[in-house]
Amino acid sequence: MKFAAGILLLLAASTLAGTPAPAAAAGGNSCIDCHRELEPRMAAPTEHFAEDIHAVRGLGCVGCHGGDASDPDITAMDPDKGFRGAPKRSEIAEWCAKCHADAAFMKRYNPQPYVFSMAEFRTSVHCKKISEGDTKVATCTNCHGVHGILPHKDPRSPVYPTNVPATCSKCHNSQYMKGRTVPTNQYALYVNSVHGKALLEKGDLSAPACNDCHGNHGAVPPNTRDISVVCGNCHGREGELFAKSGVSHALELEGKRGCATCHGNHDIQRPTDAMIGLGPGGVCGQCHTPESPGGRATAVLVPQFHGLKIEIAEADSLLAVADRLGMDTEAGRGLLREADDQLVNVRVSLHTFDRAQISDAITASSELATKSMAQARALLADWRTRRVGLGGSLVVILILIALLVYQIRRIESPRA
Amino acid sequence: MGSVREWLRDRLGLDEIQHLVEKKDVPVHRHSFWYYWGGMTLFLFGVQVVTGILLLLYYRASADEAYESVRFLMTQVSFGWLIRSIHSWSANLMIGAAMIHMFSTFLMKSYRTPREVTWLSGMVLLGLSMAFGFSGYLLPWNQLAFFATKVGTDIVGAVPGVGHFLLRFLRGGDQITGGTLTRFFGFHVAILPAVTTLILGMHLYLVQRHGMSVPPSVEQGPTPPPRMKFVPNFLLRDMVGWLAALGLLALLAALFPWELGIKADPYVPAPAGIKPEWYFGWMFQTLRMLPSHILGLEGELVGILGIGLAGMVWLVVPFLDDVRGIGPRARFWRIVGVIAILYVTVFTLMVYRGGTP
Repeated sequence: MKFAAGILLLLAASTLAGTPAPAAAAGGNSCIDCHRELEPRMAAPTEHFAEDIHAVRGLGCVGCHGGDASDPDITAMDPDKGFRGAPKRSEIAEWCAKCHADAAFMKRYNPQPYVFSMAEFRTSVHCKKISEGDTKVATCTNCHGVHGILPHKDPRSPVYPTNVPATCSKCHNSQYMKGRTVPTNQYALYVNSVHGKALLEKGDLSAPACNDCHGNHGAVPPNTRDISVVCGNCHGREGELFAKSGVSHALELEGKRGCATCHGNHDIQRPTDAMIGLGPGGVCGQCHTPESPGGRATAVLVPQFHGLKIEIAEADSLLAVADRLGMDTEAGRGLLREADDQLVNVRVSLHTFDRAQISDAITASSELATKSMAQARALLADWRTRRVGLGGSLVVILILIALLVYQIRRIESPRA
Repeated sequence: MGSVREWLRDRLGLDEIQHLVEKKDVPVHRHSFWYYWGGMTLFLFGVQVVTGILLLLYYRASADEAYESVRFLMTQVSFGWLIRSIHSWSANLMIGAAMIHMFSTFLMKSYRTPREVTWLSGMVLLGLSMAFGFSGYLLPWNQLAFFATKVGTDIVGAVPGVGHFLLRFLRGGDQITGGTLTRFFGFHVAILPAVTTLILGMHLYLVQRHGMSVPPSVEQGPTPPPRMKFVPNFLLRDMVGWLAALGLLALLAALFPWELGIKADPYVPAPAGIKPEWYFGWMFQTLRMLPSHILGLEGELVGILGIGLAGMVWLVVPFLDDVRGIGPRARFWRIVGVIAILYVTVFTLMVYRGGTP
């Protein structure tokens, strides 16, 4: 939904005429004039149509519905004038696609338009259900609205990134999905996830909404093999390493859900180091026993990993002491920053599930942390040397002063 | 050995020097303590020269290398940190000692005839010391120095008439760049030392020529004060003070090593709380506290003109004060001196306490 879907229905009008009739733009629009005066249900389409992207771009009612908006009479809706009424739910996507799937037509309004693909839509669960005659399934208007469609970049649009989870949850909730096997707790889980909080609480538009993982017009639940690809769209290095790992294939064979096996999906939380290993909070124990090869590997790697973190913390603490004592810690801090960067690399390398690679990454970071700690210790030793030197020099200075005072007294004594 | 001494005596005039040294003495009275501050300033200047030459062995004067060379000196060179810290601390102590020397000279009215030119040369030396401080402050090319120099040169730029020229002269352009650093380095290690050597030589010559001044209160006493031989009696006392200063420098350098800070980056916003070196503090605080407009003129301009005028008056006081150092005119100038000391002290402290009157 991060494309020009907000103008999905744009120019469906040209289905009949080929060129949209600029009736609204011209000023005379008998459709609006009459419907505005009718009962609420019939008047509703006129309420927000003025700000609809189609109206803004000069497209009127006849663009979709046909007829003659310049005719002030009921004859405006004469089928001979192309009037085709309202589409059935199963027809909506086809209506919209008449314009939105036509690249040449869409280019009139945007040199680089999003071109809707009916073929892609047909791959979605939504479209398949509609084809099967299920009318309670989402089609274009359920997400984008109707007669008041806003551009997808408009924060009021239901397909604006921060609105997408709520838009999806209009259908994906327990009440609407009653009697179906589709899970309905996704929204509740998502809003408390690291992604949900980033998007909905912090307004971070780079955080994924539903469509970023599931697709939009071709929305499907990602299958087992696809999950690492879906996650890897944002978490590139992790996804790449995991896809190449033996664990990825093993999980696939077992029918488990790749990344989601350890991290979860809709309720995914910020990963912590506690997830590593068989201990409390560790996710490895979901599949591995302490006696299994994987379990034995964690018995070696987990202490190494936590040992590295302790090394980094110790180096940081020693450098802080040196800082407080006024020593120049920049060189040590530089090494520590590199060690920290390498620690991030260690966390990424966990996705290889390769003991040698992980161990190498830990060693690389550990060497830097050790050097940083050595720098800090050298600084502290230097500081102690300075103290001793200061004390020594002050003693020498005091002795010299005493000698001078003695000399002054000696030459100024009456005997002299 | 004896023949070498004789050889040198004949060629260097050692007898005249010896005669001069034996002849030189210092009056002893209740204000004699203040006589030591000139020697103290000179000693600290010597420390500056020695440590400055050592720093020159490693310092590289370009925007790309200055900061790194000072960092290298402080972290990789044996006792480099000590040399730099002593140079920085000694600079501050030297200006402090020079100020004490100046104010004590003022209050003891040592500038009276025939010592007017000694006073003038001393004032020029104080100005040169502050110029040393201002130019040296930028040389490590760190963030604080960069923006303090910017503020300082901006103030110079506000001087009516020649301000813009002076600003461009100091910066080597409209902005502070690597060119400014090179220029300040040139001032700091070539121009200022050359001029200072000349003026200092003249100042010392005049002190030697006229001898130590006796304050009017002592001068009016029933008997002239007793005198102390300069060598060895006064010189030994001087050396006690110099050793104490050396100890203080070692203490400051070891306990409060001079920070290097972070490298200057012209593209980041100025850090909060930029302050000049303390000896410019009273002027900075004065300008900061003035309203934006005074009598239709810009407050900063009025401040600069006022400080400039006060400085000129301070400079020519020997020609305005009573030559005997007594009477109502002398009292007036003594009160002016006390007010000046209070003003400078209070306004300097206010910079660091962030206060307003």
